[in-house]
Amino acid sequence: MVTRIGVDIGGTFTDLVVYDDRSERVFEGKVPTRPGAPEQGVIDVIKTHVPQELVERASYFLHGTTVGLNALLERRGAKVGLICTAGLRDVLEIRRGDRAEMYNPFWKVPEPLVPRYLRIGIEERMRADGEVHRPLARESVSQAVAELRAKGVDSIAVCLMNAYANPTHELAVGAIIAEQGFEGVISLSHQVSGEYREYERTSTTVIDAFVRRRMADYLERLEAALQGLGFSGQCLITRSGGGSMTFAEATERPFETIMSGPVAGAQGAAKLAQKRDVDLLITADVGGTSFDTTLIVDGAPAVLYEGEVDGMPVQTPWVDVRSIGSGGGSIAQIDAGGLMQVGPDSAGAEPGPATYGKGGTRPTTTDAAAYLGMLGPAVLASGIRLDVDLAQKALATVATGLGKSEEEIAKGILRIAASSMANAMREITVEKGLDPRQMLLMPFGGAGPLMTTLLADELHISRVIVPPLAGNFSALGLLGADMVQSAARSAILPLDEAGLKRASDVLAELQKVTERRSDKDGPDIVATLSARLDLRFRGQEHSLSIDVESEGGRITEAAEEIAERFKKQYLRAFGSVLRQPVEIISVRASRTVALPEIGDADIVGARTDAEPVSSWNAYSFASGERMDFAVLPRGAIIDPVAGPVIVTEATSTFYVDRGWRIAPAPSGELMMTKDRTSTDD
Amino acid sequence: MTEDIVAHRAAPSAARGADADPITTQVVRHALNSAADQMKRALIRTAFSPVIYEVLDFAVAIYDRDYRLLAQAPSLPLFMGTLNSCVSEAVSAAGGIEALEPGDVLIYNWPYGTGSHPQDVATVMPVYVDDELIGYTAAKGHWLDIAAKHPYCTDTTDVFQEGVIYPGLKICRRGELDEQLAQLVICNSRVPDMIEGDMKAQIVAVNTGARAFEAVVRRFGIASFWDCVEHMFDHGEAIVRSFFERMADGRYVGEGVADNDGISDDRIRFPVAVEIAGSDVTIDFTRVPDQLSGPMNAPAPSAVSASRVAISMLAGCGEAPNEGHFRPITVLTRPGSMFHPLPPAPTFLYGLPSLQSIEVIYHAIAQSMPGAVPACSGGCIVGMTYWGRREASGESWADGSPHPVGQGAWDGGDGGTMLHISESATRFSPAEIWEAKNPWIVEKLELATDSCGPGQYRGGLGVDFVFRMLEDVHITAAMDRSQTNPWGLSGGGEARPNSAAVTYSDGRRETFSKATDYVVPKGALLELFCGGGGGFGPPEKRERQRIAADLRDGFVTSDYVKRHYPHAADVSPDEAPG
Repeated sequence: MVTRIGVDIGGTFTDLVVYDDRSERVFEGKVPTRPGAPEQGVIDVIKTHVPQELVERASYFLHGTTVGLNALLERRGAKVGLICTAGLRDVLEIRRGDRAEMYNPFWKVPEPLVPRYLRIGIEERMRADGEVHRPLARESVSQAVAELRAKGVDSIAVCLMNAYANPTHELAVGAIIAEQGFEGVISLSHQVSGEYREYERTSTTVIDAFVRRRMADYLERLEAALQGLGFSGQCLITRSGGGSMTFAEATERPFETIMSGPVAGAQGAAKLAQKRDVDLLITADVGGTSFDTTLIVDGAPAVLYEGEVDGMPVQTPWVDVRSIGSGGGSIAQIDAGGLMQVGPDSAGAEPGPATYGKGGTRPTTTDAAAYLGMLGPAVLASGIRLDVDLAQKALATVATGLGKSEEEIAKGILRIAASSMANAMREITVEKGLDPRQMLLMPFGGAGPLMTTLLADELHISRVIVPPLAGNFSALGLLGADMVQSAARSAILPLDEAGLKRASDVLAELQKVTERRSDKDGPDIVATLSARLDLRFRGQEHSLSIDVESEGGRITEAAEEIAERFKKQYLRAFGSVLRQPVEIISVRASRTVALPEIGDADIVGARTDAEPVSSWNAYSFASGERMDFAVLPRGAIIDPVAGPVIVTEATSTFYVDRGWRIAPAPSGELMMTKDRTSTDD
Repeated sequence: MTEDIVAHRAAPSAARGADADPITTQVVRHALNSAADQMKRALIRTAFSPVIYEVLDFAVAIYDRDYRLLAQAPSLPLFMGTLNSCVSEAVSAAGGIEALEPGDVLIYNWPYGTGSHPQDVATVMPVYVDDELIGYTAAKGHWLDIAAKHPYCTDTTDVFQEGVIYPGLKICRRGELDEQLAQLVICNSRVPDMIEGDMKAQIVAVNTGARAFEAVVRRFGIASFWDCVEHMFDHGEAIVRSFFERMADGRYVGEGVADNDGISDDRIRFPVAVEIAGSDVTIDFTRVPDQLSGPMNAPAPSAVSASRVAISMLAGCGEAPNEGHFRPITVLTRPGSMFHPLPPAPTFLYGLPSLQSIEVIYHAIAQSMPGAVPACSGGCIVGMTYWGRREASGESWADGSPHPVGQGAWDGGDGGTMLHISESATRFSPAEIWEAKNPWIVEKLELATDSCGPGQYRGGLGVDFVFRMLEDVHITAAMDRSQTNPWGLSGGGEARPNSAAVTYSDGRRETFSKATDYVVPKGALLELFCGGGGGFGPPEKRERQRIAADLRDGFVTSDYVKRHYPHAADVSPDEAPG
C-alpha cells in the first residue's frame, strides 16, 4: 500500500530512493542525468536498481525535476501572445525598474518571454475595488486574437489590470479566444494567481503559457514509460511551495513545480525536525555548483509567496531556500586585485573537479578536500576514484600565483568556501531575528557532510544531525511529500467581524477551486483543509501569513483572537508592535492529502567497492596540522566515536574534525556534538 | 583662489598589508561584508516606513576608528559614499572620541556634514573591544517627515525651512534611550509613528552591526584583523588602479545641466572635470556655479559620494567597495559653490545635482574611453510625492516614488529601462498596489515610442505614465533635466528629456518639472514623461535586423527610422529575426 519510488533529477545525477513496505527497507541508487531525454534517466535508474515485482506493486511514484526550470532558463517553450489592458502592455518589460547587479552600470534586463509585438492591449478596465471602470470592448478582443493567430502564437496569456478583484473580463476574454477556434493553451491570470501586483502576476501567467505544453508532453512521456515498466500507481511531482501534486494537475499548473529540486531536501528536513521535535533547524545542502540553506522553524520551512527564476518573478508558494554559487565543483581563482575567490564559476559535471580525472585542470573545492585527505580513500558511488596528483596539479596553478604551497591554497579554498556559506546562514537567521548558535545544523547533499564541522565552528553551532542517505537526501525527502493544492486571492479588508465574513466568502470559493483541481486524485482520499490570512498593520507593507481555524469554508475564529496571534508573531518577526488597526491583504486556502506514513525502516545505502582502511592522513582544521583520522563506514558507528574521524557512505563522506563526537541516533540519523572541553573559540 | 579649494581624499595606504595572509584577508573581507549585510537586514526587518524597507532609501556601513570604510551593504548608492562624513562630523559635533562611551548612539542630520538634506538622518555608534575604540557602525535613512515647510519641498530658501536639525546628540547613552530627546524628535513630525519606528530601527541596525563587527575582530584577534584590513584596502585599491592605468593621462570635462534651482528659472550649467595621471583620478567640482538661492545645492560629502559611486561602479569589478577602492580618487570642491554650499544654503533637492554628476563624470571619462561607460540616461529619478485626504473617510494619506527612465546605450548593447543608476538597488510600486491605496487610476504605464537615442546601439526607451485622479491629490514634483536631452556617445544620438503635465477636465493643460504642493483636482490627468537613454555609436552602423525588430516591436516608428537610419529606410518589420 505504501511502497513508493522517488526520483530526483539534478543537473549532474538522477537520484533514486525507494521505500519497500514489504521488507520495510529504504534503498538508493544513482545514474548520470540524461540532459536530452531526462525521462530516460528516470527509467534507467529504476531499471538498474528496482526489482520488477516492486515496480508493479508500488503505490506512488514521486518526482522532482528541473525540466520546467531548464525550459525557462534555456528559453525553450511556446511562442506566447499576451492580451492585456490597453495602456499597460509593457508591464513585462518595465518590470519594477530594478537591477539584479546594483554595482553594474551595464546590467542587461533579461529578454521578456513575450516580445512587444506579441503583446496587445484591449479596451477594458477594472478598478481595484472590483467595479468596472470601462466595459470590455469585445471587438478589441476579437481583433487582438485574430492578430495573434496571424502571427502564429502557440499559447495566449491574458492578464488584465485588477483581475484579482474581479475576473469577469478575463473570463469573457478567455471565452472569446475559445469561440474563435484557438486551439492552443489559454492562460488566464486570475486562475494562475489571485494576488495583486500586475508585473508579478503577468510574469507568472506568461511562464505558465510558455512551459505548459512542454511540461505536459514530458509528464505524459514519463507516465507512459513508467506504465511500460509495469507501474500502475499514482504519479506525483513536488511543488515549489512544498508538498506534491498529481501529474494531471501539474499539466494544468506547471509553474507550481518550477523549483521542485531544492524543495524536496527542505521538506525532508522539516519532516525530520517534526519527528525529532526540533524547534530550530538550519540546513546546509552542498551540491556540485551551489549551496542551499533553509530555516526550519517549529517543523516547517519558511514559505514565501513569490519566487524568481532567471530574474522573472513567479507568484506562487515557494519554500524559502537561499542559494549561493558555492559547491563542490566551485572553481578557485585569483581576482584583479590579487585575492583568491571561490566560485561562482563551477567545473560542473563536465569536466568536473580535476581529481575526478575527467579532464578538469582548474582547482575546485573538491580538489582542495581531496588533496587535504578530507574525503578519505574515497571511491564514489558512480565508480569515480579520486586522483590526488591531479588535484595537486590543479592547486599548483593558483599556488604559484599567490606564492603559497598547494597545502596552503587547499586550506584556503575550504576556509573561504566555508566562510561564504556561513555568512549566508548567518544572514537568513538574522533576518528572522534568530541566532544561529541556538540551532541544530543539518548537512546533506554530496558535499554537505564534508563541510559540516567547518561550518559549525564558523557559526558556533554545537549540535549537528546528519540524516540517513545524506548524499541523496533530496530524493529521500520526496518520499514524504504530501499532496497539496493551494489557492490565494488578494482582498484588502479590515480585520473585524464584517471583514472576516467577507474573507470567509473568498475562502469558500478558494476551497471550491482546490477541490475542483483535485478531482483527479481518486475516491478514497481524506483531505485536510486549512486557511491562512495575510495580515498587516494598516499603512505597512510588512505582512505575515497567519493560520486561522476554519470549518466548511467559514473562518471560525474571532477577529480579536486572530489579531492577538498576529501581534505576537509580528513582535517576534519585526521587533515591535504598532498602534494601527490590522487589515487582511490576502486569503489563502490549502488542501492537503497526507500520504501514508512510512514506519521505521531499515535504510540501506548503496555499496561501493572501496577497500577498507583503518586510518587516513588528513588535515585537521581544529589542530592546524595533518594527523591520522580513523576511517569508518557509516554502518560501523554503533557507539559514540570521537573525532578526528572520516565516515564513509556511498554518496557522501563526513569529515569529523578533532573536538567533535559522532554517535548514532534513533531512526538512522547520526548526531554530532562539539566537545565542551575543546579549546576552540 | 586655490587656497579655498578643499581636496577630499581617502586615507592613504599604511603599507603594512603585505604581511597579512591573503586567505585570512579574504575571509575577513567576507565577514565584514556579511556584518554590514546583517545591519541592512535588521533595519529592513524593524523599519516602519515603506520608504526604508521597500524603496530601500537608506545605507548602512562599518568604519574603523580613522573613519575608513570597512564594509557597506548594497543599498542606496548615493548614500553609501557619504557615511564616512556622517560619522566623522557627528563624532566631532558630539565632542570627539573622548566624549563617547560604549552603548552611545548619536543622531545627526546637519546637511553640510551628512551630504544630504535634513530628512536623511544618520545614527552612529562607536564600537569597542575591551574598552578600546575599534570603529563605528552607521546607518542613514530617509525619514518621511521632520517638519519641513511641506512634506517634500522644491522651493526652500534656507536650511531652516527644511526640517528640524539634530546636531550630533546622544539619542542613546550607554545603551539607554534618552526618552526626552526622543520625544522632541517624534513630536516634530507630521507622521510621528513612522519617525519613532524608523529611529528605533536605525538604533537596532547600528547595534546589530556593532555586535557583528566586534565578533569579527574578536574572532581574528586585533593584530591579525588590522593586518588583514590593510591588505583588504590594498586589494580594493589595486582593482581600481588597474582600470585607470588603461586610460590616457589628461583632463576631461563633462557638463551637467540642471533646469533651474527651484526658485528662479535660470538654467544651471555645472562642468565637472576628471583628471587622470597614471592611475590617480581627480574629480574637480571647483568650476561649478556659486551656491544657489534655491535648494539645488549639493553639500560637499555628496560630491565625494557621487565621485566614489561613479568610479567604484565602473572600476570595482561589481564588488562592494571599501576604503581601498577610494584611494586613487581625489575630489576637489570649492566652499561657497553649489557642490560645497555653506550654511544656511538650502539643500532639499541636493540629490538631483549629485545623482546627475555620476553621469557627468561618465561623460568626461567617455572623451578618453567612450567604450568604458554608457551614454546618458533620462538623467533623473523623477521623484514624486503625493498626499491628500480621502473623501469618504477624511483620513490623510501620502505616498512617493521614483520612476524609471531609459538607460544609455553602451559599446555592446542597447540601453534598458530602469530606475536611475543612483537608485540601482530600488524598485517602484506595481500599479495595482498604487490603485489599491491611492485615489487614482493608472491609465497608462508604457514605453514611449521614439523616445530613445538612435545609434549602433540605441538607448533605452523612456516611459509614459498617465494617472487619472479620482479625488483631489497634492503633489510635489522633484524632476530635473526637462530641458536638456540625454546625450549619446561616439556618434550616438540624443534621447527625449523628462517632462510632466496636468490636463484639467476642461482641457486646459499645464506643464512643469519642479513644483511644491501642486493640486491635481479630481478628474484631471497627471502625465509624467520619463526620458529615454542616449544612443551609442553611429546610427548608420545599426544592423538592419535590429532596426527591423525595433520597428516590429513598435519601439520606433517608420518616420523615426527614415530620420535616423536612412541606410535602412526601406526596412520591413518582417525582416526581424525569430
